[in-house]
Amino acid sequence: MSRYLKTWEFALAVLLVLEILVLGAINPTFYDPENLLYATLDFMHILFAALPLTLVIITAGIDISGVSVMGLASITLGLAWVAGMNVFVAAGIALLVGVLAGLFNGVLVAKTDVNPLVITLGTLFMFGGLAQGMPALLDLLGFKAYGSEGLAAYQYEGITGLPEAFIALTEGTLGIVPLPLLLVLAFALVLGVLLHRTRFGRYLYLIGNNPEAARYSGVPLVRALIYAYVLSGLGAALAGVMLTSYMTSARADLGSDALLPIITAVVLGGADILGGSGTILGTLLAGAMLGYLRQGLLALGVTNDLIQVVVGSILIAAMAAKQLAHWWGERRLKRRALAGRGRG
Amino acid sequence: MRRWLTSREALVTGLLVLLVLFTGLVNPNALKFRSLVEVVNASLSLLLITLGEMFVILTRGIDVSVGSAAGLSAVVLGLTLNLGWPLSLAILAALATGLLAGAVNAVGVTLLRVPPIIMTLGTLGIYRGLMRILTGGSWIENLPQNIKALNLWHLLGVPFFVWATLAVLALTAYVTWRARPARYFYAVGDNPEGAYFLGLPVRPTQFAAYTLAGFFAALAAVVFTSQIGFVSMNAAEGYELKAIAANVVGGVSLTGGVGTPLGAAVGALFMTAVHSMLIFLGVPGIWDNAFAGVILLLVVYLDYHVRRTLEFRRRQARVQGEAAWEAEGGRS
Repeated sequence: MSRYLKTWEFALAVLLVLEILVLGAINPTFYDPENLLYATLDFMHILFAALPLTLVIITAGIDISGVSVMGLASITLGLAWVAGMNVFVAAGIALLVGVLAGLFNGVLVAKTDVNPLVITLGTLFMFGGLAQGMPALLDLLGFKAYGSEGLAAYQYEGITGLPEAFIALTEGTLGIVPLPLLLVLAFALVLGVLLHRTRFGRYLYLIGNNPEAARYSGVPLVRALIYAYVLSGLGAALAGVMLTSYMTSARADLGSDALLPIITAVVLGGADILGGSGTILGTLLAGAMLGYLRQGLLALGVTNDLIQVVVGSILIAAMAAKQLAHWWGERRLKRRALAGRGRG
Repeated sequence: MRRWLTSREALVTGLLVLLVLFTGLVNPNALKFRSLVEVVNASLSLLLITLGEMFVILTRGIDVSVGSAAGLSAVVLGLTLNLGWPLSLAILAALATGLLAGAVNAVGVTLLRVPPIIMTLGTLGIYRGLMRILTGGSWIENLPQNIKALNLWHLLGVPFFVWATLAVLALTAYVTWRARPARYFYAVGDNPEGAYFLGLPVRPTQFAAYTLAGFFAALAAVVFTSQIGFVSMNAAEGYELKAIAANVVGGVSLTGGVGTPLGAAVGALFMTAVHSMLIFLGVPGIWDNAFAGVILLLVVYLDYHVRRTLEFRRRQARVQGEAAWEAEGGRS
């Protein structure tokens, strides 16, 4: 039991409960269970993207193109719907685009020795530019794919008027639990099983800890890396689709300011940015913690700008504390070793 | 000579010339002296931020906060000017802001030992938030004429800022080439442990790199504030990523220890030229980012391919050499 009490995930869970208690004490409406459940809608897209990103970061990689994939998935969905497709088929295509985007990243990362940050920086621009340019491109080819308002109007409003059935995706509930929350939890469960209960998951940790050892011990390095990036692309596309439903409009720039909270969630969740460690539960708890913090502060009248400062400071403080604790532990070990030698 | 011709700087300069010439074929206006000066003029702030970022990347670090640091410096410049401070003092305040922003990153990375990407991602949010808190979220307009006038000075038909930036570039290039402490950036990035055992000041060098990145971001802030004439809350947003891309295109390796100021500058010029040339080619600006991304990926892929081919040839030569040696009965 004490083994579980000492984990970072347990500390995060305690912090999450404390945070809700404190925010609720200041603002009692925060305690309302329905309110707590619905608040998750505002940060579900962070979780959808951050959960699979954990897998990528465990391999000592990074994928910063997710925020562009969100917009790309959203605009793909909108354009496919305007072109006359069933909106759920359109959503399926949007998810497929996310998978393909992830595949593109994964192949480049796995097959070359170029830094994943550089590759996903390139695709961040490329996917983002593609999302912005796609309506204009379709227009050029003769498809009036942006609806009746015209190309210029689209730039400001995005594609609106999506069917009720699709909007209901984020309005619906099971009992009092919102559907997107259930979907996030299901996604986390699948990723958790993949990461912590399968051989594929062990491969990811090994690749992150020691890629050379992984290669020489016959780990299918290329395939494992590609799967990790594909999952990251899929997660970002899921985030884009759900956000489109929640915002009731398909936009190319959807989620473009989510990069900081997404990476913060993964890193605060205990994943080492240098690879080799991290858990799905940690990312889930850290993401929820950040999301509720934002909600609580907004409800207290704190401005968005100040929240940005707070989130940035938390990220740095958490990492600094972790690094100092690590350094302190090393020092104690060294001292103990020296003392032991002295006695011998 | 051969070494220079196969360098990344030469490759990217060649690509840049080809790009401009090709655009000139389609639209001769692109080759006019005024257009070319305009392209260079438009690249100045990115070029300065890229130069600062180069020091960090040379030490095997990364700084994603430089755009926000530039924005914060621009806000300080605008606010102090509107308070009635003289131009020189306001510029000094902006430069001090940049230095301080860089030093905060430096403290986090070298003393608190926070991984660079985490530290600067945190300050990316903090500086951007601070700049909106300082101004209450509104743009800073009605700047005095003296700051805008800087941009209007010309010498031989070329704006003052172009000359000033060229001077900064030349100085940076000379210093990193000749000055001993500047070589520490390369040593530390190439092999941190090795540099430490040689007795080089590893942490002070890293500290200097992040501080310089902040300082160059502030220089860029002075340039773009003068060029645009107001400070928007999105000022220099996304420049951190463009600066990293420009460095990579210009041959500054993210694995540390490799790259030159000239390469970084050509990279920044290239990234800006792509945007300008697309305009001359009549491609809507909406496609800028897509092209920038494709070009970045193309350059790194080409570079990977060239390196792999060279490595393969080297190994092949060695194997053939050994075979020839054995055929001569060299086995003893």
